[in-house]
Amino acid sequence: MNQQTTSPARAIGQGLRLKGRWWVTALVGLMLIVVLWLLLNLIIGGQCDGPCVVGALAQTLRVATPIAFAALCGVMCERSGVVDIGIEGKMLMAAMVGYAVNLFAYQALKDSMGVVAAGNLSRWLAMFAGVLAAMVLAALHAVVSIEFKTNQIITGTVINILAVGLTGFLYRQFLAEHLPAGPGTFPIINIPILSNIPIIGPILFQQKPLTYIMLITVVVIQYVLFHTPWGLRTRAVGEHPRAADTVGVNVYKIRYINVIAGGLIAGLAGVWFTLEAVDVFNPMMTNGLGFIGLAAMIFGKWNPFGALLGALIFGLGNGVTSTISIFRPDIPSQLPQMLPYLLTVVILTGVVGRATAPAADGTPYEK
Amino acid sequence: MKTESFAPRKWLALSRLTNSAFLLPLLALVTALILGAIIIWVTSGSIGTVFDAFGGLIRGALFKERGLSESLIATVPYVFLSLAVAVGFKAGLFNIGVEGQFYMGAISAVFVGQLATGLPAIIHLPLTLLAGAAGGALWAAIPGYLKVRTGAHEVITTIMLNYVAFRFTELIISGPLRDIHSTAVQTTRVASSAEVWLLYEVPARLQDPLNAFAVALIAGFIAFLVSRTIRRRRERIAAAAPMVLSVGRGKPTRAPGILSRHSSLVTAIVAGVATGVLLPILTRLWWPFTDQYDRLHIGVLFAIAAAVAVWWLIGKTTIGFELRTVGANPNAAIYAGMSITKNVVLAMAISGALAGIAGTIEVLGVSICRCLPLFFSSGYGFDSIAISLLANNSPFGILGVAFLFGAMRNGADLMELSSGVSKYIISLMQALILLFVSAPPIIRWLYRIRTEQKGQRLGLPGSWGGKA
Repeated sequence: MNQQTTSPARAIGQGLRLKGRWWVTALVGLMLIVVLWLLLNLIIGGQCDGPCVVGALAQTLRVATPIAFAALCGVMCERSGVVDIGIEGKMLMAAMVGYAVNLFAYQALKDSMGVVAAGNLSRWLAMFAGVLAAMVLAALHAVVSIEFKTNQIITGTVINILAVGLTGFLYRQFLAEHLPAGPGTFPIINIPILSNIPIIGPILFQQKPLTYIMLITVVVIQYVLFHTPWGLRTRAVGEHPRAADTVGVNVYKIRYINVIAGGLIAGLAGVWFTLEAVDVFNPMMTNGLGFIGLAAMIFGKWNPFGALLGALIFGLGNGVTSTISIFRPDIPSQLPQMLPYLLTVVILTGVVGRATAPAADGTPYEK
Repeated sequence: MKTESFAPRKWLALSRLTNSAFLLPLLALVTALILGAIIIWVTSGSIGTVFDAFGGLIRGALFKERGLSESLIATVPYVFLSLAVAVGFKAGLFNIGVEGQFYMGAISAVFVGQLATGLPAIIHLPLTLLAGAAGGALWAAIPGYLKVRTGAHEVITTIMLNYVAFRFTELIISGPLRDIHSTAVQTTRVASSAEVWLLYEVPARLQDPLNAFAVALIAGFIAFLVSRTIRRRRERIAAAAPMVLSVGRGKPTRAPGILSRHSSLVTAIVAGVATGVLLPILTRLWWPFTDQYDRLHIGVLFAIAAAVAVWWLIGKTTIGFELRTVGANPNAAIYAGMSITKNVVLAMAISGALAGIAGTIEVLGVSICRCLPLFFSSGYGFDSIAISLLANNSPFGILGVAFLFGAMRNGADLMELSSGVSKYIISLMQALILLFVSAPPIIRWLYRIRTEQKGQRLGLPGSWGGKA
C-alpha cells in the first residue's frame, strides 16, 4: 500500500527522501542550489551573478510547467489504476490544436474587436480548444483501456503514434505554409505587489498564466486526492478495485473521469508549448517531455507535490544547462541536451529512492 | 486416416478463418484504409482526390520507374526493426527504442566502416555488420539490465535513450567522425569494401575471387542447413515407423556409407563449389538488374535471412524457448530455473542487434553518401511497432506486412504529388491500423464478429512491473 500523504511538506520531504521537518527539506534544497551554482560558476568561469541566478531559477519554473502538468496527468490516471504512456501524444495534439485555433480565431476576430482584445480572447479560446482535443484523445484511451481492457501500455503507445500521425498530417495539410501572422503567446503577467519582492518576485510572480495555473492545479489535486471522498475513491480504485466495487464505488466511472481529467491536464501541458513557450508549431515538438513528466511522477511517488518537485529538478537541470550553453558556446550543445533524458533514466532506476505504484496500476478491471 | 465427413470439416475451416489470426488484422487494415479515405475526402472536399491519392499511392509504390525497388528498399529496415520489436514482445518486453538502437548501430557501423581500408569485403562487410549489431545490442541491453535490476520500465528508458542516441550521433557526426572535406555536416564515407552491394553491382563484385568465395561459403551453408533439415525429417519419419518402411520396400537396411552419412556436408560442398565457380560466370552472361540507378541492394536477402533466423531462434531453439517462457510467465520461468536477468538482457540485446543491423544497412547500402548525414531521420521506429503487432509477431508475417508498409511509405511521395494530400496521411493510417490491431474489440464490434478468442493476448506486463 502507498503511504497516505497528508501535508504538502511531508510530500516534498518524501520526494527528497527526508524524514525530518519541512524546513530541513527546504534548507537542504537551498544548499543543493548553492552547490549547483558554485559548480556552474566553475564551468563558466564565474560569470553567473545575482540576476543570472534569478534568471535561471525563473527559467526553472517556466520549463517545469509542462513537465509538472504531464506528471499531474500521470498522477490522476495512475492513482485510479490506468497507466498513461500516451501523455506525450495528448500534449502534441493539444499543442497543435491550440496553435491553430489561436491563429485562426485571431484572424476571425481582429477586425471586429481590435487587435489586443482579439489576441487575448483567441489565446484563451485556443487554450480551451487544445485542452478539449487532448481530452478527446484521453477519452479514446479510456474507452480502449477501460472498456475493451487492452494492454494500457500499448494503448498509450497507440495514442502517441496516432497523435504524431494526426498532427503531422494536419500540420502539413493546413499549417505548413502561407500562414497569417498570429497574436503570439501569452504575455507575462505580473502579480501586483508580490512581483516587486526582490528575489522571489521575478522567480515566482513574473510568469505567464499557465505557470500560475500549474501551481494552483498542484494544490487542487493534492487536496482532491487526499482530502475529499472522490480522492479516497480514486485511490481505492487504484489500489484494490474489487474491494472498492464491493462497497459500491463505480470503478469504471471513477477511472473514466480520472483519465479524462488527466487528459485535461495533459492538454494544459500541450498548449504550454504553443501558447506560452514559442509561437510556432512543429511536428514532434514535445520532445519527450511527456515521458519526462512520467519520470517526475514516479520520482514524486505518485503525489502531486512530489511530482512538482520532480518537475522542478528537471527544470533546474534545464536552467543550468541553458546558462552553460549561453556562456560556453564551445561546449557542444548536444552534451547538455542529453542530460534531462539521462536524468530520467537515473530517476527511474530508483537511485534516488524506490517508489511503489498503486497496486492495481495497469490492470484492467473485470467485473 | 480418411476424412469421415468432408463438408463439416470445410465448414470448420471457414469458421476457423473468421477466428484466425488473419481476419482481424485484415479487417483492421481495411478499416484504417477506409477511414484514411474518409479523412482525405473530408479535408479535401472532393471524392476525386481520394482516387487520385490512392492511385498515386499504388503507382508510386509499385508501377513507377524503379517504384518496386524503392518499396523493397524501404521494406528492409522495416523488416529488421519489426523483427526487433517482435523479439522483445516474445520475451514480454516492449522495446520502443528501436529507433535509437538503429542510430547507434549506424554510427558504430560508420566507425568501423571508415576505420579500416584495404580489407577484403569478405572480412570488412561482416565486420561492419557485426559492429552495427553490437552497437545496437549494447544500447538495448542497458534498459534490459536496468529493468531487471532496478525495475525501471523499459518503455520509458528506451524512449529516453532514443533521445540520448539522437544527440550522441549528432555529436559524433559533427565532431570526431565529421568529413572535413565536405560542406555538408556528415561523416566520412565508409570504405568500398564495407558497402552493402547494390544488385546491379553483383556481377562486377563477383569477379573478385574472394567475394565469389564468400558467396560460395554462404551458399554452402544454406545448402547444408536445408539438406540437414530434410535428412532429420526423414530420419524422424523412419524412426516413427520403421516397420512400414522396411517391410514396404522389401529390402534389408544396409549400413549407410560414408557419403550418405555425411550427405549434408557433401551437399554443402557441392553447392558451395558450384556457386563459387558458376555464379561469377553466369551473372556475367546474364543478370536481370542492369539499371545502374536502381538502388536495390542485397540487404533484401539479409532481411529474408534475418526473418528465417529469428523464426528458428525463437521457435526452434532452447534460447528461444527460454525467452518465450520468461515473456509468457516469469514465475514459471524462475521456477524452472531460468535466469530472468540473462533472458531479459539477451532478448533486448538480440532486439537491439537487429535494429542495429537495420541502421548499418541504411548507411552501407542506401545512404547516398555511404555515410551518416546529420539529418538522418528515419522515422521507421514507431511504424515497426505497428508492423509487428499487425503481423502478430510472426517473422514471416512481418516480411509481408513490412513490404506493405514500405510500399506505402515509398508511394506516399507520388501520392502527395498527384493529389496534394500530405504524405503524413500514411502515418495517420498506420496509426489507425495499430489502434485497431491493438484493440480487437473495436473491430469485433464494428463487424459484429461474436466469438472471442481467449489466450491470444500479448504476455506483456501492464504496469511498471517492479523487480522481476
